[in-house]
Amino acid sequence: MSRYLAATKQKISSKISIKMESITHTKRKLTDLLEPQFMARLDGLDLASRRMLRGQTQGQRLSKRRGQSVEFADHRQYTAGDDLRFLDWNIYARLEQLFLKLFLEEQDLTLHILMDVSESTATGEPSKALFIRKMAAALGYVGVVHHNRVTISAFADGVTLQLANQRGRGCVSRLAEFLLTVESGGPSAFEKACKQVVQDRIGSGVVVVLSDMLFKEGYEAGLKRLFSRHYDVYVIQTLSPEERQPTLSGDLKLVDIEDADMAEITISAALLNYYRKTLASYCDQLQQFCMRHGAGYVLAGSDASAERLTLNTLRKSGLLR
Amino acid sequence: MMGIWAAAISVPLLVLLYFLKLKRREQLISSTLLWKKAIQDLQVNAPFQKIRRNILLLLQLLALGAILLALAGPVLRMMGSGPKRYVLLIDRSASMNATDVLPSRLAEAKRQAKTFVESLPKERLFSLNRAQTQVMAIAFDKTAKVVCNFTSDRQQLLRAIEAIEPGDGASQIGQALTAARAFAQPIEADANNRSAEEPARLLLFSDGRIEDLEKQAVGQEELEYHVVGKNPDNLGIIAMQARRDFEDTQRVDVFLTLANYGTNPAASDVEFSVNDTVVSVRPVNVDKEALSTDGKATLPGKMSMEFSFRSEDAAVVRVRIVKEDALVADNTAYAVVSARKNLSIALVSEGNAVLRSALKACGPGKLDELTPADFETKAAGDFLVQQPYDVIVLDNVAIQKRPRGRYLVFGQPPSGIDVTVGGQLENQFVADWRTRHPVLQYVNLNTLFAARGLVLQMPRDAEILAEFTKGPAISVVRRQGSVFILTAFDVVSTNWPFEPGFVLFCYNAMQYLAAQASVETDGSLQPGEPIMVEGLPAGTETTVIGPGMASVKLTATDAGLVRLPAAEHTGLYRMEFAGREAKYFAVNLNDEQESRIAPLETLTFSGQEIKAQTKPLSRANLPLWPYLVLAALGLCLLEWWVYTGKMRL
Repeated sequence: MSRYLAATKQKISSKISIKMESITHTKRKLTDLLEPQFMARLDGLDLASRRMLRGQTQGQRLSKRRGQSVEFADHRQYTAGDDLRFLDWNIYARLEQLFLKLFLEEQDLTLHILMDVSESTATGEPSKALFIRKMAAALGYVGVVHHNRVTISAFADGVTLQLANQRGRGCVSRLAEFLLTVESGGPSAFEKACKQVVQDRIGSGVVVVLSDMLFKEGYEAGLKRLFSRHYDVYVIQTLSPEERQPTLSGDLKLVDIEDADMAEITISAALLNYYRKTLASYCDQLQQFCMRHGAGYVLAGSDASAERLTLNTLRKSGLLR
Repeated sequence: MMGIWAAAISVPLLVLLYFLKLKRREQLISSTLLWKKAIQDLQVNAPFQKIRRNILLLLQLLALGAILLALAGPVLRMMGSGPKRYVLLIDRSASMNATDVLPSRLAEAKRQAKTFVESLPKERLFSLNRAQTQVMAIAFDKTAKVVCNFTSDRQQLLRAIEAIEPGDGASQIGQALTAARAFAQPIEADANNRSAEEPARLLLFSDGRIEDLEKQAVGQEELEYHVVGKNPDNLGIIAMQARRDFEDTQRVDVFLTLANYGTNPAASDVEFSVNDTVVSVRPVNVDKEALSTDGKATLPGKMSMEFSFRSEDAAVVRVRIVKEDALVADNTAYAVVSARKNLSIALVSEGNAVLRSALKACGPGKLDELTPADFETKAAGDFLVQQPYDVIVLDNVAIQKRPRGRYLVFGQPPSGIDVTVGGQLENQFVADWRTRHPVLQYVNLNTLFAARGLVLQMPRDAEILAEFTKGPAISVVRRQGSVFILTAFDVVSTNWPFEPGFVLFCYNAMQYLAAQASVETDGSLQPGEPIMVEGLPAGTETTVIGPGMASVKLTATDAGLVRLPAAEHTGLYRMEFAGREAKYFAVNLNDEQESRIAPLETLTFSGQEIKAQTKPLSRANLPLWPYLVLAALGLCLLEWWVYTGKMRL
């Protein structure tokens, strides 16, 4: 059994890698994943956060912090040691008291993409892995070109690979390199991955989870770690057409590609019906869970157009503007 | 018991096989999470899903059940609680040999009878009533033979039916009915001849050509008739005779009648052979069957033929219709012609010139005059076997030894023939006589006057030809194979020698007695009749060879009799004696009833018409196993359909 599983995995991964190989010829560019026209339209978009989050460096977003910018915030009494440059001389002239002008500081936004590269994403036709990479590419591109801090974490059994703190157009090629080289494989441990991400303290910001969200251990514990005031969380659940409308038939022994768990089934109309119901309620529960915790939720089939999803759905959901 | 065991073993085996059988295809999927949940839901929400999913198992169980039931051999009793006892009457007469139904009508009748027997319920596990159906089988032609008494042993019945051999006899149902009723009589009948047991039902398998239907009475419910045969076409010899010409005794005339029972004119060649040498072949064309003038019956097309040849010696004549038809038995007929033999007469007398000259006038080949003493001496010797004389004339003599023969007796009757002398008569005239009798043909007894005569007290079976006023004058008595013409007077005490009638009487008597002799030696028999030869020395060994039988060795009894109980088949029988010439016997069908092979759809017993069953014989009990097997097959097909249908989902 295990030998069979291994052989099949080998086959599938080789298939995926061939696909990857074919699209990543000599130089790995982001255009291998995204259409140039699509990228051009992405240029006009920027990330948005529904919260005012604290950035790390100066950026293009207002933060709650008072700092150096042109946006006036408040006055306060001068105390010894304050920077004399920010004294409001007009008030001093009128009142002969020293007041200091305070400004809202403009900070950058951290975009953290949590990308599922476990074995299960390698399945599906078209592959979920490809779709996840496309979405990561699109969001990452939007992030870097608008001087946001972009971190991409590929997770399977915990975070396996990370591309941290990318910022600016110059990082696009690194982004492409990362996305096109990261390989799918291994079991998925979502909670472990979330724990690692939180512990890394990369910074508060927008967290986008790109995954099929089919975790045996459950998604709740993992997501709860992310739901904090520091993060604005979006969950983009990706399911393959096969998962949404199974075309199986006969007496089958279903083998989980990740942990070789088996389920013996005899396909019948009733069973398929129950499967569809179960899937719908699973997705529904996930959405409810996300809504309760103020997170965004989008369900996307791996056969959906990444362009349409990005330009329409994500804009409506508020992640992009 | 076996059925339960079979079920106990096979049903769990099937269930086991069902579970073993599930070799599932392996399919890699991204996650079994949702599937497991779906299965859980399915099981939680629909407890009967398991069974519904196992509809294949259900179908297989049903199919298995059907097969097991089929093995148990259930039977649908079509007749309900009908009679439990049957008598199978199987006609094995000549017409049943017809091959219009292949291989033959008898084989078909046997097949139907066996079908019936096989359809009887067996001793079964699930049999509710212990009373078994009992069947008896009787084969009949001219005689009936119980081939199997009442039994419920199917194998015994089948063997007995299979062993029925075809015969060439005529068919008569009388004996068979008597036997059937005798055996079928309920054992515990009460005074009113009523019994708890129902009367047996008779099943007749025949072509309906039965001679004695009119004499038999059966009830409508008693007998069920299954007709065998379909084709009436048959050309056969229905009569044949070969005899020497009276005038020219070297010449043998063969007469024969052909009959065509078919609906088309029949043409064929007829071949005549004498002693296995074909001497003539003639084409014939016999008319088809036609309605009789009153339009009630159909008459066969008939044609008479005549053929003659010259031979002094004994000969066997065979006539054969060359064209083969359904019935073979009547296509060949034999006749045995004895060697030419002139009349030889022994006159036992003390000397009677009148009688001698009268007998000489009859033109005998040999006339020996013997004294009573000579005769006694000869009779003690080889007289019996050789039979040197055709007729023995006793001229008022008393003899002690009286070998078997034909006698013309004047005066004193021989002893031991139940004729006693009751007294003397005088001056008698003949009061009445039978002018039509061959012995008295053209004889005028009006003028006969007997001065002296005897009062003969005749046995009841005597044939009185002429009577005096006070007693019989001329009579015929048959005793122990001998024939006696008795005259109650000595010829010299009458005026008869002076009458022309006397010579005529002598001539007639000689011819009559000689004819009696030839009747006895004429070897023409019908099938089923015994072959007998009498007058042999005791202990003579003979061998009989005949058609369709192994050679049989027979030994003559002390009375000098050799007897073959029955010549079963048509054809030529040959009886060989050590040191003597062989004797031939011709056994011919010569039976219009049997040659008419058209099967009768309706049997007319006396006052009761019984129609043939139109349905083939499977009515008694309908075995259900073929239907069950079909059902099992259907279930298997359904299972396949369901299976493939499931694959399509």
